[in-house]
Amino acid sequence: MTSTPILVALAGQPNCGKSTVFNLLTGARQHVANYPGVTVEKKTGSFSIGETRVELVDLPGTYSLTSYSLEERVARDFLLGDNPGVVMDVADASNLKRNLYLTLQLIEMEVPTILDLNMMDVAERRGQKIDILGLEKILGIPVVPTTAKRGAGREQLREAIVRTADTTRESVFRVNYGPMEPYIRELLERLKEEPLLSVQYPLRWLAVKLLENDAEAMDLLGRNHPDADRILEATEAARSKFAAEEGNEVERHIAFTRHAACAAISRKVVTMPTERKRSLSDRADRYICNRYLGPIILVAILMVLYQVAIVFGNWLALQVWPAWGALEDFAADVLPAAGFMDDPLLRSLGLWVVKSTTAILNYLPIFFLLFSLIAILEDSGYMPRMAFILDRLFRRFGLHGQSTLPMILGGVYVGGCAIPGVMATKAIPDERARLATIMIVPMMNCLAKVPLYLILIGAYFADVGGFAMFFIATVTLFMALPVAKLLTLTVFKKHSSAPFIMEMPPYHVPTVTGVLRRAAERVWLFLKKIVTVVAAVAVVVFVLINYPGLTDARKAHYAEAEVKAVDGFMAEVEKTGYQGRINRDDVLSIILFDEALKRAKQGVTDQEKSNVINQRFEVRNPVYYAVVKRVGGDGKALNRAIKKVNRVRKQVRRESRAERFETSFLGVMGRTLEPVTQWAGFNWRINIALLSAFAAKENSAATLGSIYGLDGSQSVQESMKAGESGFTALHALALMLFMALYPPCVPTSIMVRHQSNSTKWMLFSIGYQTLLGLFVASLVFTGGTLLGLSGFQAMWAFYGLCVAVTLGMGLIPVPEETEATPVITAICKDNCS
Amino acid sequence: MKKLMIVLTLASLLAFAGQAFAHSPLMSCFDNGDGTVTCEGGFSDGSSASGVKIHVTDGGGKSLIETNMNQDSEVTFKKPDGAYMVIFDGGAGHTVEVNGADIVE
Repeated sequence: MTSTPILVALAGQPNCGKSTVFNLLTGARQHVANYPGVTVEKKTGSFSIGETRVELVDLPGTYSLTSYSLEERVARDFLLGDNPGVVMDVADASNLKRNLYLTLQLIEMEVPTILDLNMMDVAERRGQKIDILGLEKILGIPVVPTTAKRGAGREQLREAIVRTADTTRESVFRVNYGPMEPYIRELLERLKEEPLLSVQYPLRWLAVKLLENDAEAMDLLGRNHPDADRILEATEAARSKFAAEEGNEVERHIAFTRHAACAAISRKVVTMPTERKRSLSDRADRYICNRYLGPIILVAILMVLYQVAIVFGNWLALQVWPAWGALEDFAADVLPAAGFMDDPLLRSLGLWVVKSTTAILNYLPIFFLLFSLIAILEDSGYMPRMAFILDRLFRRFGLHGQSTLPMILGGVYVGGCAIPGVMATKAIPDERARLATIMIVPMMNCLAKVPLYLILIGAYFADVGGFAMFFIATVTLFMALPVAKLLTLTVFKKHSSAPFIMEMPPYHVPTVTGVLRRAAERVWLFLKKIVTVVAAVAVVVFVLINYPGLTDARKAHYAEAEVKAVDGFMAEVEKTGYQGRINRDDVLSIILFDEALKRAKQGVTDQEKSNVINQRFEVRNPVYYAVVKRVGGDGKALNRAIKKVNRVRKQVRRESRAERFETSFLGVMGRTLEPVTQWAGFNWRINIALLSAFAAKENSAATLGSIYGLDGSQSVQESMKAGESGFTALHALALMLFMALYPPCVPTSIMVRHQSNSTKWMLFSIGYQTLLGLFVASLVFTGGTLLGLSGFQAMWAFYGLCVAVTLGMGLIPVPEETEATPVITAICKDNCS
Repeated sequence: MKKLMIVLTLASLLAFAGQAFAHSPLMSCFDNGDGTVTCEGGFSDGSSASGVKIHVTDGGGKSLIETNMNQDSEVTFKKPDGAYMVIFDGGAGHTVEVNGADIVE
């Protein structure tokens, strides 16, 4: 053996214990990076066997090696491009039949493979006996049984690596594709004509892939073969001929042959205790995949999911909030003290960033529950079944069966959040459907849009509130589905779509540790990715809404109010015994002292404890304490006076903030946009509210509130009605629809960026939703005005239009629809009877 | 399409099952020691609570005071005699209740 390091690739299907094997070999020393150009994580580590260095690269977990999903493509490119000396295929021994599917493809690629039968303990516990030698003989590759969890099999693996790297032994096993073999042979002959190709790539594999119509294989041929076009033509002809003769698509035939080969091998080498478990799964599938019962069970499961993740999650988030609140208080304590009107920049910016971050951290319990539930759905084996049930429906709109979960989380009806929704699109194997789902999830009704709906409905549709709520809650789906279809037919046309091939694994009960570990890993990933970006974005938004700032004249105006308030307080001081002990500089300090005392007592419900805190503050500054806690007659008088000052301070801060905001870059933008938005019925004030909502949807209601200058006696609805006399129900309807279609908020946009792995798609998502929102709002407002419709009439006219468009869109075929559908039924029929 | 309608009907049923809000309402109350109580409201994401309805009820749930949070998301009211509850009512799922007994000086 030479001293050149051996490159070992670790391949395996999800949940086969691949990471444990990785840690077993490397001792958990690892380096994590991304594969070039993609967000798929690349974990590498190294160790020595004697004199030899071994570089271990963890490939993404994949069921198969087609080029449909990003993970599969990454794994395959590595195998072809980086020429690993050994490929270690980790398989779940207790689930050999399913795991062999990948093994056979590796063997077909003629890479030097070792089969690691991991989780032998599970297989034994289930009473399965595996004939290791028999399996070695059939496959012609080393087979090593391990239980990586307990550290068993490490030496044997290392020994097998050295042995395999030394030899150039080729596997003797070959999947017999039966009636397809003549076609493969014919194509092989043609491929052999180009000698360079046969040195670089396994030709039989390439031939099979070409017949399978694999986009990457065709690409590869185009790059490496001078006569690629002629060969592709011949392949296409062979495909149609095969389909005509056998009455079966090539892809299906290949998938079935491989599954059959796996089943045959596993029958030969695995002795099952009884067929009880499998048949139990089959029996369960008879109901779960049933045409009528299936959807009902699905909805019931989603309902539980929603209740636990969103409803219970919100409750939990509230329980956890004090922790984040403490973080805010801590930041408020350590940052420079507040001023009377303006705070030091470090304080206002620091608090803004912390606030933006805690606003996201607040969702953490929801995410943790959500990820745990998704892990349960995945581990139990229900996920592929759910996708199967809804795939037919969603595929009509360019979506995928697995688009269900993201849409539910985003708020298909009312009450979701786009961030976990977009995040959940990760599971969709079909890239085109995944992008389409990412683009429409933000159009769902997230909870943050609700306050604005409530305000507008309360003000303009009060007598028909229930109908109006139903309208806005359901119309979004009828807008989203056609949009998904439209995007699929246009901008996503070039993206690859995967036929729905998915083996239904047998059900099994997920383990608590497995689920928790996976949830914790994902939460951690989320934190790492989101929180840092949110902090950065918060700074940008801060600048946009605070600068260029007030003019000197306005600043002087507010300063004058401050001086007057302090003068009033000092006049009171002169009348008391504190004369000379409290001077002008103390005024702000007293107010801050009062705030600090309140913060210290927040959440304290016990008078004893409260007294202790009071005492601490009294010792710190008895004079301030006397004013704040109304000690003695002088204290009472000054307390009244300081309250007056505090009211002025709050008013000055509030008004100057609103003014700063209106004259800020964002505010100016709102005014500039008025000529465009007038067709939708939006004036500059509404524009500003909508712009601020981009930072976080919740802002819209708050901003409208502050702009319309409400006070305690009036609700936002009332002051809005009073402030905007020309504002009609039609305006309100246009505003609601715009809000529904409004671009995703900043955190969601960042999530879109992560999930689509492209800034371009993020900008597209923001751009098209803005334009669409503006278009729909203008259509409703201008159209409604021209037709003389009332807001309520326009509402239902628009609803009818959306439903009609949805039905119409559903009838336009998606390019691959015709060939994808039979694959689903056939595969599932096999399992779902 | 029939299937679409079935799924949609079921989905709406599902959604009616519960509404909640992804940002949490917050309220803390203090006894001012002068026979008044001040409550400060807000939301976990920093949204203002101005205009939010505040109900003060007696031990039996009978309404004593109906008011709104002011522009500074605060409300000050006369402390009722005996047991009372302060309810921050921001709509469905947006409610916080604070027991008067837990409001200390």
